[in-house]
Amino acid sequence: MTSENDDMGLAMSSISMFNKSSNTSDSFFSSCWDPIVSQSGSLGGSSMASHYHLVMENQGISGTSHVSHYQSDPSFVELVSKLTGFDGGNLSQMVGPFSLPQCNQVANRRCPPNFTLNTEGGNERGSTNSLRFLDEHRISKEALVGTSPNGKIRKCAPESGSPLRSCKNGDEEPVMDLSSEGCDGPREQARKKPETEQNTGANSRGKQAVKQDKDSSQSEEAPKENYIHVRARRGQATNSHSLAERVRREKISERMRLLQELVPGCNKITGKAVMLDEIINYVQSLQQQVEFLSMKLATVNPEINLDLDRILSKDILHQRSGSAAVLGLGPGSNSPYGFSPSTFPGTISGIPNKNPQFPPLPQTVLENELLNLFQMGFSGSTMDGFGLNGIHRSKQSYIF
Amino acid sequence: MDLQNLNPSSLKSRFTARFLRALTEINAPKTISSSSPREIFQRYRRIKVAADKSMAYSVRSRRIWSRATLWRLRTRSRSRRLVSFGRRASVKTRTTASHGKENKEHHGAVLGVQAEELRELVPGGEAMDLCNLLDETAHYIKCLTTQGFCVYMGGLLCEGCC
Repeated sequence: MTSENDDMGLAMSSISMFNKSSNTSDSFFSSCWDPIVSQSGSLGGSSMASHYHLVMENQGISGTSHVSHYQSDPSFVELVSKLTGFDGGNLSQMVGPFSLPQCNQVANRRCPPNFTLNTEGGNERGSTNSLRFLDEHRISKEALVGTSPNGKIRKCAPESGSPLRSCKNGDEEPVMDLSSEGCDGPREQARKKPETEQNTGANSRGKQAVKQDKDSSQSEEAPKENYIHVRARRGQATNSHSLAERVRREKISERMRLLQELVPGCNKITGKAVMLDEIINYVQSLQQQVEFLSMKLATVNPEINLDLDRILSKDILHQRSGSAAVLGLGPGSNSPYGFSPSTFPGTISGIPNKNPQFPPLPQTVLENELLNLFQMGFSGSTMDGFGLNGIHRSKQSYIF
Repeated sequence: MDLQNLNPSSLKSRFTARFLRALTEINAPKTISSSSPREIFQRYRRIKVAADKSMAYSVRSRRIWSRATLWRLRTRSRSRRLVSFGRRASVKTRTTASHGKENKEHHGAVLGVQAEELRELVPGGEAMDLCNLLDETAHYIKCLTTQGFCVYMGGLLCEGCC
């Protein structure tokens, strides 16, 4: 018990120290610390040191989501209350919830297990635990990082003089806990500002922030500046160039992930080079598809009627109803182009490439192929079927 | 998906409206069905240009690739009419290309070959670093699928109504 009380005393003193040292920090932090101070008194039986640091937030799902500032005091107080309710279990138990999918879920649920806590007392032990924690989550860090545009991890240096703080991965509804390992004594609260991703000033500021010393006050910039704080990961170079490189690489990999969802059949592909090849192929086939379709329109078109404008737009826009009607119309009404769905996959490969000298024959066959593809795609959502399924299938069967 | 269909200001509806208008313009003068290959080819090119133009106009200038497409279309039409402007256009292309090459050397070290190919594919991609290029590619893919879909549906409906 006494150890716990000592911890509490230490925590309170550390908090007060922090409060004093953060005179120049913005009022946000000082106001945030107050509930902690008030709550830490009630921590009582739970032997939790109070390392608090603010984390970066993320919507968690889409990589390009905007990021919001850390939130107001009431939510923070809520967190603190949860903290008090959390009877300090094993650190391993707390480590468990930090795998990525749980983080994703938990971020929406505000569960207590999201908190990283040092249940053990003592500075060194706490920091070592958080270090171990850091190491464990280096592996999951990539995944974590991926879900937010800037994975900024902090070093948790085992500094003996550092005041006790609890590493908390604060989590409100919009918050996705990024730096779950983040527990560093002296400095860092990296905050992510909204609309910072594209800011090239981010890197320079980030480098400066890393080079700064223990003053956490200095590491907190004015909230109005739009840039990303970058922290060096443990065991990696703190060179400004490498930091900028890492930020850039993370941005690129995040965008590659987005593209992976767009391009069909790329879920299992790992590796940028192969992925880029797939993307290039897909864009090429899409462009060729548009060319081919416009060629088709050129041959069909002379009969288009001005009055059909409205009908056309309605049918195109309301694709589900239109598709059935169209497909019903197509085979029925078109005598010059005999529809023989069975002809193709063998014949397609022999057809030359959009040679305007003999449009009718290739048009027919490819048209039917496209119709088949579209029918396949229409079972699901039509647009998806057009772009994704259609192209995917078509790649195997023929080359445009 | 349904919401997207009904949204009057969605990409699909914007593109479709423009494209249909262009289509009717293209087809209006040709009351006599001319099935000579040359005519068909000419019409094909006009339709393709109309499709690209409609797509680029639907996106306005929000994207680099749309701006590049619009610029390219304008300079092409201009250079066809006036020879003097062609020189200016070529100068412009040269500057953008050189600027793009500098960027390429600086940024594209890791995936140089594929990035270059992608740059050639995506309009306006020469002057972008890999990060923005991937962004533009994602949007471009989305718009290409919309474009292809609308052109296809237009074709189906046209032949269905003839």
